[in-house]
Amino acid sequence: MSVELTQPGLVLSTTALAAGYEGRAIVSDISIEATPGKVVSIVGPNGSGKSTLLKSLVGVVRVLDGSVTVGGNDVTNLPPEEVAKLGVGYVPQIDDVFPPLSVKENLEIGGYLLSRSEIPDRIAAVVDRFPRLKEMMHRKAGKLSGGERKMLAMGRVLMLSPSVLVLDEPTANLAPMIATQLLEEFVRGFADHGSTVLLVEQRAKSALRISNWTYVLGGGRVVLQGPPEDLQENPAFIESFLGGGARH
Amino acid sequence: MSSFGFGLITAAVLAIATVGFTMQFAVTNVLNLAYGSVMINSAFVSYYLNVHGMTAWASLVGGVVTGAVVSWALNRFIFTPFQRRSLAPITVVIVALGVDLVGTFGLQAIVGGNYVSFHQSPGREFHFLGMILSGLQLVILAICVVVLGLVHWVLKYTRLGKAMRATSANPNLARNSGVKVQRVISTTWLISGALCGLAGTVLTMNTGVFEATSAQLYIVLLLAAMFLGGPGEPYGAMFGALTIGLATEISAAYINPQYKEVFAFLALLGMLTFRPYGIFGSEKTN
Ligand SMILES: Nc1ncnc2c1ncn2[C@@H]1O[C@H](COP(=O)(O)OP(=O)(O)OP(=O)(O)O)[C@@H](O)[C@H]1O
Ligand SMILES: [Mg+2]
Repeated sequence: MSVELTQPGLVLSTTALAAGYEGRAIVSDISIEATPGKVVSIVGPNGSGKSTLLKSLVGVVRVLDGSVTVGGNDVTNLPPEEVAKLGVGYVPQIDDVFPPLSVKENLEIGGYLLSRSEIPDRIAAVVDRFPRLKEMMHRKAGKLSGGERKMLAMGRVLMLSPSVLVLDEPTANLAPMIATQLLEEFVRGFADHGSTVLLVEQRAKSALRISNWTYVLGGGRVVLQGPPEDLQENPAFIESFLGGGARH
Repeated sequence: MSSFGFGLITAAVLAIATVGFTMQFAVTNVLNLAYGSVMINSAFVSYYLNVHGMTAWASLVGGVVTGAVVSWALNRFIFTPFQRRSLAPITVVIVALGVDLVGTFGLQAIVGGNYVSFHQSPGREFHFLGMILSGLQLVILAICVVVLGLVHWVLKYTRLGKAMRATSANPNLARNSGVKVQRVISTTWLISGALCGLAGTVLTMNTGVFEATSAQLYIVLLLAAMFLGGPGEPYGAMFGALTIGLATEISAAYINPQYKEVFAFLALLGMLTFRPYGIFGSEKTN
């Protein structure tokens, strides 16, 4: 491909981070790190605070304690638009597009920080990677299928050539085949091109397959971490995530 | 047929007003029940500029600027602080209602309860398609067409307009995309406030005589037009205003003009019952 969609990665890290809503911490004492060229994943049961953690990294949820840095810059409680400017692209779990806006307009908003003249070329580069979007540039985002919508959500953050991708369950509600393609082709691909990927994923098995390091969240804390090879051998992990001892 | 002509002007003014009202609701989440009082205050500023020697056009601009500045200030110093405390949305509605009363009766205390009128002639009459319209009314129609065209162009083709629609659909995602949402919201209040001031001024220029409480029931027409088109849909607002404007004037011609707002209110009730998301709105709104 002629145009790179992402930029060389930056280190994203947190130190003893606590975050939550209305002053009440949902996650606490979180120290994690995601590095260039790697996919770092976070798994954990429903309600364990995965989304809250990601939101606190990108300025949507308030950090109550500890710190977040991107490429050595302290970004703790920076407004979301500033975090975006530093090269962090965030795809939320839900509400990941602007439904009344067309596909093209969604991408234009994704490129809001670019100059007017850069936007058309950038859109061309992004839809080159997601050819399905090319055929539906004028359709409203709210009318896309689940898979198309996720492609658009990813396309939106790629507009700014992010260095760090923060993805919250990108495969939720996708057919297994599309989910696998999304993870192995795109998500892994971004890391292979040198950017930093922090991924929350429900499908533990698929997550491990593409990850370099995995954190397990439970009750708002990191309860387990390690490279996928180790976790796959860990009885506690197998018990909770890989289906009662049965190895695949 | 003359009620159709008059209804057309009512609809045109209502369309300008409703688009501003809907914009405030869609982009900033404020159901600004004080809208009518900002309209009438703008009209009075415009009126005083006019009686102190300014031309109709210059005083119209004065009304527009007043609407913009007052609306911006209302948001900045009253609505936003209340929203920040993240109390129930009803709080801001009640605050707006209070602002409306203070705005209307405060104005009445200052200007008194007398009827006033602009120093300008309605111009010569024009007859076409069986309608009789004054020169002034033709100007109002032209203003309406230009202004709505301009709003359409801004929303559809400019960076600001797209940011406004994105903010309306999903403010957090807009911020994650680099949009300075607070600035977009402030600008929305300036633009929608300008529409509010414009609507107030042309409304009173059209009716000829007016006083401090003249726009007090206007909120009913606004709500009816907005809900008819679907809350938060600027194009729906134009359609809703056209329908409500024509329907109320035509029904007023045959029944009793005093009941104009009652008809609008009945239409509003009907919409809320059968199609709460309006004719253009979709079932799922954020
Ligand atoms: N806006 C909010 N206000 C208050 N509490 C919230 C809010 N959003 C989430 N929570 C609470 O925070 C906790 C963690 O939620 P979170 O969405 O972070 O979990 P999750 O691990 O992402 O779950 P899932 O796997 O279902 O996506 C839950 O108990 C939830 O009820
Ligand atoms: Mg989640």
